[in-house]
Amino acid sequence: MAETIVKIENLVKRYKDLIALDHLNLEIKQGEVYGLLGPNGSGKSTTINCLLSLLAFDKGNIEIFGEKMSPDNYSVKKNIGIIMQNVAVFDELTVYENIDYFCGLYIKDKEERRKCVEDAIAFVELDEFRKFYPKKLSGGLLRRLNIACGIAHKPELIILDEPTVAVDPQSRNKILEGIQQLNRNGATIIYTSHYMEEVEQICTRIAIIDKGKKIAEGTKEELKKMIRNTETVTIEVIDIDDDVKNKISGLPHVYSVEFSDGKLEVKCSDGKHNLIRILGVLQECGLNFGRVYSELPTLNDVFLEITGTALRDSE
Amino acid sequence: MFFHHFKYDFLTCIRNKGLIFWLILFPAVLGTLFKVAFSGLYDSVAVFKAIPVAIVTVEENAVFDEVISAISDGEEALFSVTETDETTALELLETKQIMGIIYVSEKLELTVGSAEKMNSSSAIQQSIIKGFVEQYEIQKSIIMDTVTNSPEKLESVIEAMSADIAPNSSVPLTEGNTDSMLSYFYNLMAMVALFGSVTGLHIATCSQGNLSALGARKCCSPVNKLVATIASLCGSTLAQSICTIISTTYLVILGIDFGTRLPLVYLAGIVGSIMGVSLGFFIGSFGTANEDVKNGVSMTISLVCCFFSGLMVSNMKAVVAMYAPWFNEINPAAVISDAFYCLNIYSDYERFTEKIITMLVMAVIFTLGGFVLTRRKRYASL
Repeated sequence: MAETIVKIENLVKRYKDLIALDHLNLEIKQGEVYGLLGPNGSGKSTTINCLLSLLAFDKGNIEIFGEKMSPDNYSVKKNIGIIMQNVAVFDELTVYENIDYFCGLYIKDKEERRKCVEDAIAFVELDEFRKFYPKKLSGGLLRRLNIACGIAHKPELIILDEPTVAVDPQSRNKILEGIQQLNRNGATIIYTSHYMEEVEQICTRIAIIDKGKKIAEGTKEELKKMIRNTETVTIEVIDIDDDVKNKISGLPHVYSVEFSDGKLEVKCSDGKHNLIRILGVLQECGLNFGRVYSELPTLNDVFLEITGTALRDSE
Repeated sequence: MFFHHFKYDFLTCIRNKGLIFWLILFPAVLGTLFKVAFSGLYDSVAVFKAIPVAIVTVEENAVFDEVISAISDGEEALFSVTETDETTALELLETKQIMGIIYVSEKLELTVGSAEKMNSSSAIQQSIIKGFVEQYEIQKSIIMDTVTNSPEKLESVIEAMSADIAPNSSVPLTEGNTDSMLSYFYNLMAMVALFGSVTGLHIATCSQGNLSALGARKCCSPVNKLVATIASLCGSTLAQSICTIISTTYLVILGIDFGTRLPLVYLAGIVGSIMGVSLGFFIGSFGTANEDVKNGVSMTISLVCCFFSGLMVSNMKAVVAMYAPWFNEINPAAVISDAFYCLNIYSDYERFTEKIITMLVMAVIFTLGGFVLTRRKRYASL
């Protein structure tokens, strides 16, 4: 069984009357890409900041690598890499110097550090920009520099707090691929985001957080199994009357039929051939239809079914 | 680890264009402007020109002719004399080509232009002509009295009059340059030192997790905060000191007379820089306002200190000394400028050493204050 890298027990953090973290429990195993998914203000960054001993908390216990985490626990800190939501680099230092500076906070040996810096530059593909100052870099390249500064010392645990905010799709894909590569190289990853697609794409296990509480945890498959919805069929039709809606509702496995803005949305709980049966009803009733989509449930559906609001609605 | 922080903080400071502007270019421009402005002032005061006067002879006076001829000859002539008739003399006076008309007869008479038409320079010149005429009459009457009453003493009286009588002779108290305009340059250097507070402030911001993303990243690393901060302060102080040395050197090249003990002038500038950086560190450690706000506060404090030290009004320090002398003792700008002043004026090192020690004590207080304010390791909020 994999070793527990991070253990958070009954973590409570209050900002005056607001409870930011409400008895949060997390356990992250070695080699995982652990996703913390939740809307803005759900407590993801607060969890990370408590984990890193930046924030004081009211109650609870945090252990990393089996040791109690504290601001002075340098042996634990030495093996953590942190990539913050805000880019944290020096404008007056070049790409190389920035990475060397932050790497130097962890590695004293110059030769070892030089190798680590070179590896980090190669990893984020910033070789041709090594002498550039951050102000000359695009947003995507700047994010990659931010990541390089956080991982150059080759940490065992890497924490990424919304690293893809305001990043173009191409750079986002590069960043996500990079994170998966780091995981393949042996690092345990904690990844926070409010983009469910990213979390689905890279995380091996996911905790959904809302209002400071963990409301669900598991692999994406496990999370999706927790809910009733297994397939959502969407069909473009001009109009539909209640009679047709009732016929569709009566089909096996169908538990929700809604029509708005020329789109019929049918949610099914289980079973096969749902799409064929629904289209059959429409043909029987002589209705013409346009485009047809069949979608498997997303983490947004999980969040929606558990909390009653969509992830994006709650942002 | 210490050298790693030291090196990179030095690099970030020295490459900061804003800092280079405020610590080198701004004082260089201001110093040049001061120099140009004060040079004009010196010229008008220092260059004396012979005063143009007209002599209208009403009655022959051989003694006066001798005297006037003696003081209107040569390079250091007091008067530039035009001998003419009254009509021409009055025309010359009207057109301001001369400052006065001396009518020569048994008794001298003087006519000068009306006060409304005269500026301050003309008024001084008229006073000099008036003084000369009065002095001539007094000395003439003394000699006449002596001839009448004690002719045997005539020789000694003339000898006494000829001697350079100086009842209020000027005895210099110092070998230094007492030019009051120098205080502007002392305060300019004080301003450069205090502007170093910007670097100290940046260090405070970048070392606290609740003030900047850089601070948060540093706080997550396995680095002793105290050691890292001291190293950063040293790096910034070195950068600041280099800027101070460059600014001072520029003023020296510009011809500003800082006295003969130039190495100690640089020392005072460097110690002032240490105080400036530590002041900024203290301000930066105070409260949770963002760096821009704190920079504004820091700049304002520096300029207010320089104002009360005499950067904008030269006698301000004297005014403060009259009404709140204690303030000059704690005003960092006043202490720095005093150090330069002491170095130039006093031949011994007692007061200079006192000022240097005051600066170092202030630097220690500011630095310790900053450490006390930033000692926390976990924050209530970020």
